[in-house]
Amino acid sequence: MTRKQLISRERIVEAAHPRALSGFLASRPMPMMHHGDGKVEGVREADHKGHHIVIRTTYVVEVDGRTLDLPLGVDNDGHVHCHSLPNYQFSSAIGLVKQIIDTFPGDFPKPGKPPKTPPTPSPHDGMHMSMPMPSESPKRKKK
Amino acid sequence: MAVTRRNILSNATIRDQFTSGANLLKQESSGRTTTDFGMTGPSVDVSTYDLFVIWHYQTMMTLTPPGNSSGRNAAHRGSIFLPWHRVMLMLFESNLQRVLNDATFGLPYWDWAADGDKTPGKQKQSKLWATNCMGGSGTPVTKGPFGFKSSDPASFRVRIEADAFGQLRSVNRGLSRSFATSGVATLPKTQHVSDALALASYDAAQWDADSDGFRNRAEGWSGSAVEPWMHNRVHVWVGGDMLPGTSPNDPVFFLNHCNIDRIWESWMTNNGRTYLPTMTAPANLVGQRIDDPISSPDSTTTPRAVLNVSSVYAYDVLP
Repeated sequence: MTRKQLISRERIVEAAHPRALSGFLASRPMPMMHHGDGKVEGVREADHKGHHIVIRTTYVVEVDGRTLDLPLGVDNDGHVHCHSLPNYQFSSAIGLVKQIIDTFPGDFPKPGKPPKTPPTPSPHDGMHMSMPMPSESPKRKKK
Repeated sequence: MAVTRRNILSNATIRDQFTSGANLLKQESSGRTTTDFGMTGPSVDVSTYDLFVIWHYQTMMTLTPPGNSSGRNAAHRGSIFLPWHRVMLMLFESNLQRVLNDATFGLPYWDWAADGDKTPGKQKQSKLWATNCMGGSGTPVTKGPFGFKSSDPASFRVRIEADAFGQLRSVNRGLSRSFATSGVATLPKTQHVSDALALASYDAAQWDADSDGFRNRAEGWSGSAVEPWMHNRVHVWVGGDMLPGTSPNDPVFFLNHCNIDRIWESWMTNNGRTYLPTMTAPANLVGQRIDDPISSPDSTTTPRAVLNVSSVYAYDVLP
């Protein structure tokens, strides 16, 4: 691999500038992992002795009678995972949902009580128009 | 000239630069608002620091390929885990160098295995959690450079969080940590790092969280039947804001990943600067292969381009 192909400090500085990074992020739609109908469908596939195996799994998760849109899935070893908890996987979907409730208690109000929503920040709450912004992004030098 | 990355507990100057720099990035406007990133609710300014929260979240919610059941995504649960986080750390380090006005600053790491060799009680009393370093645990954390002070809007705040259902929302609260209460009682140990380094292959089919190989062990999906391991275990042990996909909200995120990057560098020193899968892998692995673009502002960055970063940084000591 040539030196030109390797990442360089110059390329890092350019990509790291807040203008470049924020522009990149704003140009991408925020991914949506669920469909809003409460059903999560997964397809597992494997080959065995010339046979093709397909396992289709549908999860419908309810907590306190409420159907939830959880971004969860099950892998070929049968572990259940959820993108809301990216450092966990479970042998049981029940265990996963218990951990979800523990990690996001505000999203799971006690039965009969309204959901506890976090305080909504005002448009410039804690951030001020006078706060410094980074200087212009350095231009990549032409070679 | 390459910078040197050091143990945060070995050098008070670097420690103070890191905590100061993270706070400076929190106070710097990126020039964008939450609306620009598709978040609902009032439009709130987004700091440079929080761009890294959004980037991490966006990337881990991007499945490769779309809809795969294994959860393999553009940052986790696949081969790209180590290269993508290496790029993220380099961009964060570059921003720290800029706000600190010190091009020689190297991102520090937390050698969590050294703490993991201690008793469970002593792990919580590591110098890392001292008030002159990362502060301790709590909801909110109230001590140290990232402690919450309700009367001081300049104190460290979490401004973006994820809900249980995968949506980002604006908040204004203190950082949360809860050591050893979220499913694991201890940090990884030195022996676990040695066991990972002894694995000869970088990764293997099916290139996901069920794979054999160094990447999957370092990420933390293998080594134990169901318990989080290595990198995952550190997230879970710290708890609080280190649990959701917005885990860069806690600055200790960067120290954890810097240590994982250091372990990867050690593995490559011993095994060669190799990476799998190659470009002969099928199309359903696009986004994971050696010459596929890494999800970053520089579309020319690939795993191959970051296997040798000796012109950018080096570690003081490899495990």
